[in-house]
Parts: sequence; C-alpha cells; structure tokens
Amino acid sequence: MLSPRHRRLVLPALVALLLTSIVAGLAVGAVPISPLSSLRLVLWRLHLGPRPPGVPQTTEVILFQLRLPRVMLAVVVGAGLAAAGAVFQALFRNAMADPAIIGVSSGAALGAIVVILSGAGAAAGGFGVSAAAFVAALATALVVYRLARLGPAVQVATLLLAGVAVAAIISALMSLLMTFSGEQIRSIYFWLLGGLADASWRSVETAAPLVLGGVAFAVWSASDLNVTVLGEERAAQLGLEVERFKRRMLAVGALLTAAAVSVAGVIGFVGLMTPHILRLIVGADHRRLMPASVLGGASLMVLADLAARSVVPPVEIPVGVVTALLGGPFFLYLLRRERKVAGAGA
Amino acid sequence: MASVRRTAGALAAVLTATLVSAACSSSSGGVPQRASSPSAASSAGFPLTLTDDEGVAVTLNAVPRRIVTFAPADTEIVFALGLGSRLVGVSYHQFDDFPPRAKGIPAVGGPNTAPSIERVVALHPDILLATAGGQDWKARLRQVGVPVFTTNATSFDDALKDIDTLGTILGAGSAAHRLTASMAARADSISRTLAGEPAVSCFLDLGGLYTVGPHDFPFDLLKRAGCDPVTTGASTSYPQWQKDELVQENPSVYLFTSDSGDTVKGIEGDRQLSSIAAVRDGRVFSVDSDLISRPGPRLVLGIEALARDLHPALFAGSG
Repeated sequence: MLSPRHRRLVLPALVALLLTSIVAGLAVGAVPISPLSSLRLVLWRLHLGPRPPGVPQTTEVILFQLRLPRVMLAVVVGAGLAAAGAVFQALFRNAMADPAIIGVSSGAALGAIVVILSGAGAAAGGFGVSAAAFVAALATALVVYRLARLGPAVQVATLLLAGVAVAAIISALMSLLMTFSGEQIRSIYFWLLGGLADASWRSVETAAPLVLGGVAFAVWSASDLNVTVLGEERAAQLGLEVERFKRRMLAVGALLTAAAVSVAGVIGFVGLMTPHILRLIVGADHRRLMPASVLGGASLMVLADLAARSVVPPVEIPVGVVTALLGGPFFLYLLRRERKVAGAGA
Repeated sequence: MASVRRTAGALAAVLTATLVSAACSSSSGGVPQRASSPSAASSAGFPLTLTDDEGVAVTLNAVPRRIVTFAPADTEIVFALGLGSRLVGVSYHQFDDFPPRAKGIPAVGGPNTAPSIERVVALHPDILLATAGGQDWKARLRQVGVPVFTTNATSFDDALKDIDTLGTILGAGSAAHRLTASMAARADSISRTLAGEPAVSCFLDLGGLYTVGPHDFPFDLLKRAGCDPVTTGASTSYPQWQKDELVQENPSVYLFTSDSGDTVKGIEGDRQLSSIAAVRDGRVFSVDSDLISRPGPRLVLGIEALARDLHPALFAGSG
C-alpha cells in the first residue's frame, strides 16, 4: 500500500490511464489510424478544433460509428463489472467474490436469453432485456448469498461451491434453451462467450445510465460498505441497519452486473481482478477503492478489448477469452495465497 | 501466429502492389483496357434496385467500381465476368484461392464467419457480395453505408440465375449471359451423353457421414451426373447418415469430398462398410469439394468430374 501522500496521486493517475487507454483503443484495430489523427478527429467532433486535413471519410466512419461506440461500451462494461466486484467483495467480506464467479453474470445472461427467445425482448426493447437480466441477476445473488452464509462471515469454500453449483444449474438451463433455440443459437453463444463486437451507440445508451446510477450509488454508500466489512455486529453497533443495507447493495451489484451483461454477455474476472489489485494500492477504504475500481475496470476492459481485436487481425478473439487468460491465473494465485493465510491462522 | 499473419498480410500487400503496377504498365503500353469497356457500355440500367435471396432490396446508383466478396464462389464469378480488377477485397485467402490472382487481394475476414467491419469500410466498396447467414454483421455493414447483396443457390439452375443476377448488378450482364449459356450447354451435353443410361446409386460423404438431402446444394449436381443418391428420402437438411442405413441401401458408388477428412483407404478399410457394393467393387472416389460446393463458374467441371466417376465408360478420356 502506498503512503497517504502518494495515495492522493492514484486517482489522477487512473484518470490518465483511462484517457490513454481510450486513445489507444481508438487508434488500434484491423485498420490502423494514428493516435494523433484520431485525437484530432475527436477534438474536431467536439468542436474544439478544425477537421484534420487529408483524413478520408472512411476513417471518420470507422472512428465514430465503429470504434468509438465500442471503446465507450468497454468503458461502461468495465466500470460496471469492477464496481459490482467491489460491492460483492465488501458484502460477502470476501476477496473471491466476482459477479461471474458467484454466478450472478450467468443468471443475468439466462434472464436476457429467456426474454430474447420468448420474443418479448423485441417488444420491450433494450431495456426489457436489461430488466430481465437484472431480475435474474438479483435472484441469483440472493440465492448464492443465502447458500453461502453459514455464520457471521461467508467462508471462501462455501461461497465458491455455492457459486459453482448455481452456475452449473444455470448453464444446464442455458444448454436446454440452446437445444430448442434453432436459428437463434448464435445469439446464445454470444451471451456465453461475451464480447463487444456488436457494440453500437444504442448499446452504450442502454447500459450507460444504469451503470452510472449503480456506480453513483456504490460510491455514495462507500462509508457504509467500510462499516459492513468490519462485520455485522460492529456495523449494527455503529448504527447501520445491516440487513436492509445488504439487500440494497446486493440489488446495486446485481444492477451493475445486469447492465454490463445485457450489452456484452458474460465477461469474467474484470470484477475480481480490478478491486483486488487496487486494494493493494489504495487500501481497503471504499471511498477511495470504489472510484479507483471504476476507473481501473474501465481501463482494463478497454485494453483487453484492444488486445482481443488486434492480436490476430482481422480475426477477433472473444474478449472474455482475454480476460479469462489474464484473470484465471490471477484467481488461482489468490486462492493459493488465501489458503496459506488461512493455514497460518489455524 | 501473429507474425505469420502479418507476414502474409505484407506479402498480400506487395502482391497487390505488383499486380496494380503490372496492370498500369500494360495499359500504358497501348493495350485497350478491358475493365472500362463493359462498364461504360452497361451503365444504362442504373440506378438499379434488386431484391436478394434474403429478401433485402438493394439499390445501386451506379455500376459498382469497388467490389468486396465474402464467398469464394462470388470471387470466382467476379473474375469469370472479367471484373477481377474491380475486386478490392475477398473473405480469406485459404477460402478465396481461385483464380490464384484472388490471393493477391486484401482479405477482410479470417477462418471464422464474420468479416472485420473496419477492414470492409476502409476499402470503401460499392457493394459486398455474400452468401446466406451472418445477419448481424450484414446489418452492421448496411448501417455504415455498405450495400450487401446475398445469393444462396440451391441447385445448378439457381446458380446460373444467380450468376446472371450478379452480372446485372455489376454492370456485366452480357458477359454473365455468355458464361451461363456456355455452362448450360456443357451441362446439357452431359445430360445427352447420359440419356437412356440408368442412374447409378451413390452416396456423397461430406465428412463424418454428413450428406446431402434433396434440397441441399450439391444434390442436384449428383442427379445431373447420373446418380440416384441413396439419401433422396432425407427429410432434414444436410443429414448425418448411419452406417447401418448405408449397408442396407448398398450404394454402387461411394463419393467423398476432398475436404471431408476421409480417404479411400480409410473407407475401404472400414470393416463395417465392407459389404457395400461400392467398397467391394473399388468404386470409392474423392471429389474436389471446391468444384461441387461453390455455386460458381466451375460447377460444370464438378458435374463432369462426378459423371466420370459414376459412368466411366461413357466419359472415358474426357478428363
């Protein structure tokens, strides 16, 4: 952890990282556009400068209709998943909690798929899918929480096992739906793999308000989350209505997850890694950790997507593959360390 | 992998540059340019609106000068119509391998099924020609102003009709008519040779015993080559056959496509298939998949190749 004086520099540094990632995300792709001309085109669009000379119109289309919505969606999804991860980790008082690991992402995807396959999705529009994803995500979060909670704190093993069991049931239900989905099977694959290839301004407009609302609420609840981490007894002594607060925060976590999943499918490990790494840097105080996670998650997602679409152009790797390859080993490392600590304590 | 792809890309770029400079030097040498004459002659029909095989109405204001193909058959058709110089993008070089010149044109896709929208847009094509499927990326391309025209042939006649349609769209209607007329004539000549000859029962293995039903594409070619496929009664599309069915139906000729992963040795060595007439008589043949699976100009070659395997006595020496 950094000294208090250095800690103050973390947020500005993360803002700079995010801005750099966005510019890189705009510049890199199957068709190279120099960072300078993409930056100047963006400034021109914001009426902050003249149109750079000699830039073909196709570059404009690629930048503003294909890449910018995609990068913005990565920002929204990454921020949402990281904030959800930070919320779940505080609620479960457990650093292993992540929307994908505890099955909430799969729950959200299942909700979305059911609505899409039933045809109700077309009627309700993008928000209908998000609403169904939210209801299913919340239900999953509640079930896993009840299953995992056997005493004052949630044990790692119980949490992971409950998450695995619930996720297995959900994946069986999805396979069942796939069997009967016929031509729509491709859209189900999309939910399972996760990715930003279909990003459009519409998906940004669907997810951004929900993520923004959820993030604002999570940041606003930061001090209460700090109290929750101390344990329910202490929290109650400090005047927090623990049960009510927990239910509310579960809903916030589910909302953030559902917003991300309903536009990008299930993308794992962003919600796990981001809060964890940043906790090592800025400490466990959620007043700093929450905004740091939001910024860090957004940057991570933009960079992961950048890698996904530029490693073997013009082929795109699903971004979930990139985050899993980064996050999987990290998760195993955490699990090993956790067990060592537990072993030393016993 | 990444560096291999990049090298391939660089190679493609160099090849393209070489081709372009070669084309330029030949035209400056006083040779009349081939591409300019048909387009000038046939720009009369534009603007033009046509409905494609997926029910999408596509409007073109002028003869497309920059074409991207996302199906190897379409690549072959564009070249056969003499419009190769207008082709600015193909799907993937391992698929778009004919004519060999196609490999020098930038690829917009990979081994998966969707093109890179960015790459397509960067080529600013006037039209993208595709085969069925891929609704998501097609919608995306139309959104950013790239017209997409889909053809999905289910029979030989249908393929000829599609070639004529593409000729109309690309402003090369008469070249297309000449091409389809010669294809039809060659197919008719095969039919005349086979007249009165009983059809031979056959099975076409696309790999893993997947085969063609009566409404799937190469089925019609088998019929034209004088075969009575044992899968005539199939009720589903591209069904998977069972070995016991094959033994019971006892086809006289066993055909497998060159990309099926099968080998003559493998099939003849399969003891479960040893009682089949085709295996006993040594009439197990590999068929070039490109010739029978791409609804393009080379389909007649496919029919001729099939006919030689099915009726060797009638077509001896013609290959």
